Amino acid sequence: MFGKKKKTSIITKVIGTAVGVYAGLFCVFYFDLDGKLLYYVVEPFMKKHFDNMERRDPHTVPYDLIDTEYMQKK
Amino acid sequence: MKKPDLKKLKEVDFKKAARDFVYGKPHGERRLGDLYIPKTGLYKHREWRGIKDTMYYFNNIWLYNYGMIVRDLMVYGGGPKGAIQFLKGTWRYRWMGQTYLTVMHWFDRCLEGMRGEALQASAWHFRGITSACLYQITGWFNRDANIGGDPALRAKTLGTDETVWGGIIYPYMDQGAMYLPTQMIPYFVTCHCNNHTVLNYIDAVQAYGLPGDPCPMCQAEAGLYIADDIPDSYVAMVTTNEACDSSVGTSIIQDWMMNKPLFAMPQVMQFDDDSVLENCAKEIEMAWRFTEEQLGVEFHWDELVKHIKLQNQQNQFEREKWDVAANTHSYPINGVAQALYRIFYSQYGERPFWHDVDKKVRKIMEKCVNEDINTFPMTRHRVIAWSCAPLYYSAWCTWAYNCWGLNTIINMDSLMFDLDIRTDTYENCLLDIAKYHEWAPMRRMAVGGLQHIFELWENMEKFNCDMVMMYDQLQCKGMQGVVGLFEDEFRARNIHAIWMPHALPDKRTVPRSQIRQIINDYMFTVMGEEPLDPSLLDFDDSDSW
Amino acid sequence: MRDLKHLIYFEDLLQEANNDLVRKGKEDGNLCLGYTCYFMPEVLLDLPGCFSVRLRAPKCTSPDMATYYMSGRTCHYGRSLLERALEGGYNFIDAQLATETCTVTCRFAEHLDYMDGVINNATFKTSFTDVPFKKNENSIDHFRKQLKLKVLDFLHDEFGVDTSDEAIMKAIEINNEVNDIITEIGNFRKLDRPTITGYEFSVITLVSMVCPKYLIIDKLRETLEELKTREPDDKPNYKIKVLLAGSENDDPDFIKLIESCGALVVADRYCYGSLEARNHINVEPGDDALTAVAKHYLLTSQCARFMEQKEMRHRKKVIADYATEYKADGIIVESNKFCEYWSFERMIDTIVLPRDYGFPVCSIEKEYINTASGQLRTRFQAFVESVELKKIQEGK
Repeated sequence: MFGKKKKTSIITKVIGTAVGVYAGLFCVFYFDLDGKLLYYVVEPFMKKHFDNMERRDPHTVPYDLIDTEYMQKK
Repeated sequence: MKKPDLKKLKEVDFKKAARDFVYGKPHGERRLGDLYIPKTGLYKHREWRGIKDTMYYFNNIWLYNYGMIVRDLMVYGGGPKGAIQFLKGTWRYRWMGQTYLTVMHWFDRCLEGMRGEALQASAWHFRGITSACLYQITGWFNRDANIGGDPALRAKTLGTDETVWGGIIYPYMDQGAMYLPTQMIPYFVTCHCNNHTVLNYIDAVQAYGLPGDPCPMCQAEAGLYIADDIPDSYVAMVTTNEACDSSVGTSIIQDWMMNKPLFAMPQVMQFDDDSVLENCAKEIEMAWRFTEEQLGVEFHWDELVKHIKLQNQQNQFEREKWDVAANTHSYPINGVAQALYRIFYSQYGERPFWHDVDKKVRKIMEKCVNEDINTFPMTRHRVIAWSCAPLYYSAWCTWAYNCWGLNTIINMDSLMFDLDIRTDTYENCLLDIAKYHEWAPMRRMAVGGLQHIFELWENMEKFNCDMVMMYDQLQCKGMQGVVGLFEDEFRARNIHAIWMPHALPDKRTVPRSQIRQIINDYMFTVMGEEPLDPSLLDFDDSDSW
Repeated sequence: MRDLKHLIYFEDLLQEANNDLVRKGKEDGNLCLGYTCYFMPEVLLDLPGCFSVRLRAPKCTSPDMATYYMSGRTCHYGRSLLERALEGGYNFIDAQLATETCTVTCRFAEHLDYMDGVINNATFKTSFTDVPFKKNENSIDHFRKQLKLKVLDFLHDEFGVDTSDEAIMKAIEINNEVNDIITEIGNFRKLDRPTITGYEFSVITLVSMVCPKYLIIDKLRETLEELKTREPDDKPNYKIKVLLAGSENDDPDFIKLIESCGALVVADRYCYGSLEARNHINVEPGDDALTAVAKHYLLTSQCARFMEQKEMRHRKKVIADYATEYKADGIIVESNKFCEYWSFERMIDTIVLPRDYGFPVCSIEKEYINTASGQLRTRFQAFVESVELKKIQEGK
């Protein structure tokens, strides 16, 4: 299907891309870029989201008396 | 362009630099403290451990674990649907969305400075813990009514207090029943991974009137419910009084906020007396009956035996590990990995991922023993850590080894569950299960009977330790109630003990820097020693995970 | 109201643990048995030849030695007990019957057991009883077995005490007499215009717990008779009536402090209070004496450590029912600093009692001995004012 040259070129590209990705990941690892992204971007964003989330008010949660052992009536 | 300083260049020992590049710097020259970005605990760059160990860390720990996290999510979560539930849960719950994404930094903190087999075996322990966490996280989210979880799965799920041993569900596992310890993932592990989150829960419960002095662990556990941050993933709950008075209080909040059928399975406090076992055994049986009623399952004795036998295997391997730890210098697991892995699997119960890890660790450990590898070569003191550990600074062991050569060989939490449960008869099995419950975390050698906390002395001897790291949980009434007796005993026995004050999950009470300072002071003034890595003496990690 | 004839005498008996009547009890050749918690059945320590003393550490404001042993971060009550023991203040007790019902009192007893010579009494011994967290049949059975093993057999084997059914029945009889007297005295608090103050009642209740019963019962009886004819003041010197609920309190001056702010304490649902500690012990047909005792102490208790779902929920209603029965206008919920059971319980009561039962609640944290009363006084005064205002608005 493919010529020998084209085949070699695809393989080279795949290997090159793989090596590039691997090297990129190594850079992420070595320079702690995952940590930095999470610390400076993701966590503050999520924190803001959770701080602003509407939550149930415990004062409104009923605390009913129960008659049976395991609340089977519920 | 600036010209290179040839004079300086001439001073560089290229041979040594090449050696350091290939093999990593020797312990005394690493200056690990210089790698930190102040306050954050982030690294300017991760440590270069030499080619072999750096590439091992990159490929077999960092890349591998990121990959396995995705794999676990897909496998445990049941495919794409599980992945969607995971995303929904991440967006809904603070303990997930703000916490667990930082998991690889937890690995980093605990594995700093490790090399060779010690690095490998310790990392496998963390892999096991991570897998167990994901198993539970997907379990929570796939069932959660708040985010459209599956009601059929929820109907077969029992919520429990985290100090209820996971074995409670063994007889029903072949019927699809699941056990979710309600604080283990939403609270306990978060403190180790990213201690920012838990502070919200402590503050939440105090905002509703709880004083600041009860056990902060129980405060946080109650706060999860007050802050409406617990998934609605179970139909009924089994709670317990363990480990302390505050746990009882937490149970009340759990009951109030969730309003689900609840069975209290309290365990006795004075457990030495054989007469109390019968009472505990009956409570466990009642908990089983409750589970059967609520989950619509049947008691399968064979299933129970199967899992207990597997759990016993884990315990037997643990003893083999202890034997190596006690009697050789070839034990390849660092203090924090040993402690967290042991407490996690013993409490959560037998599951396949633990056995996978144990197989790998056994192989590494056998290699170390056979080849007489000194896994922690800079060990100056063999340390036993006693009482309840600071959750926000479980990695202190790693720091203490890197900075001072203090090698934590064993800790109290690991020793508590040392019981092979008999399976010859139902009665024997039940009595042993009762005893196992009585020896729950923070109970047997902490809040429980006085005589057991002094098992420290025999364990010091057994593990050939010459120093005690005495955890001083400032809000644990049980342990605060005996501090003077410990002081007296340390003096009488002429034991080097460092008191490490902390407040379990709450880093605000005793910051990590203060813990380090206390150890530094002791090592300088009492032991008269110099640090192995002076860059680690003092650094600012106040806002770190 | 005219002064109670024996009040000063009773007050004197509370000045130290080893009071005149305890000394007299010992001189009479009786064994003195210490305990701290309601779950240690007082009645079993009042067997023939023995008498019970519920331990207190009056006036212990600075437990320095105990703070070395138990740190400054444990319940002041537990520490004060240890301090008093280290000072030699409990050398008169022959045995400590301990329960691990709350951590710090248990640690106190463990110190007595572990440290040589803390109790300078050659015969001294300790015994620990496990107390269940539930009230089911299994719990009663377990508690009965524990009491047999850890109390009766202990007393019989170590001290030769007669622990027969007859002996227990006799002790129940004496205790019931005291219980009935105290209950009857307490009932005067239910009147529209009570003829006894909370302070007086607290003193009377406490002496019944810290003295040999056979030596105090006459004076209790006399006091009851006296109260039957006691007239209330024409103009009440209180503005509201309150129920006091919460953790350990054996300090009548704390009640006095509340009452000095205008709140008459009409019901006492706290450790060392009379509700439910002075209930009549019934022996049901078919039960032996020990079973009756086990059932009584387990089933009457409303301790915050009970964990069954219905118990956890029901005990809020119990407090509200008491408040209604004793015609209280509000409820003060207190917890001792570092008391974990009541820290949680107080938080929940503070939300649930006003919301579900309509009682205003004053929620406070206190020390064992309340030397810093200024802050508490301000809190109580503000509470009294707010409840008074509410009453005026409601036209009561």
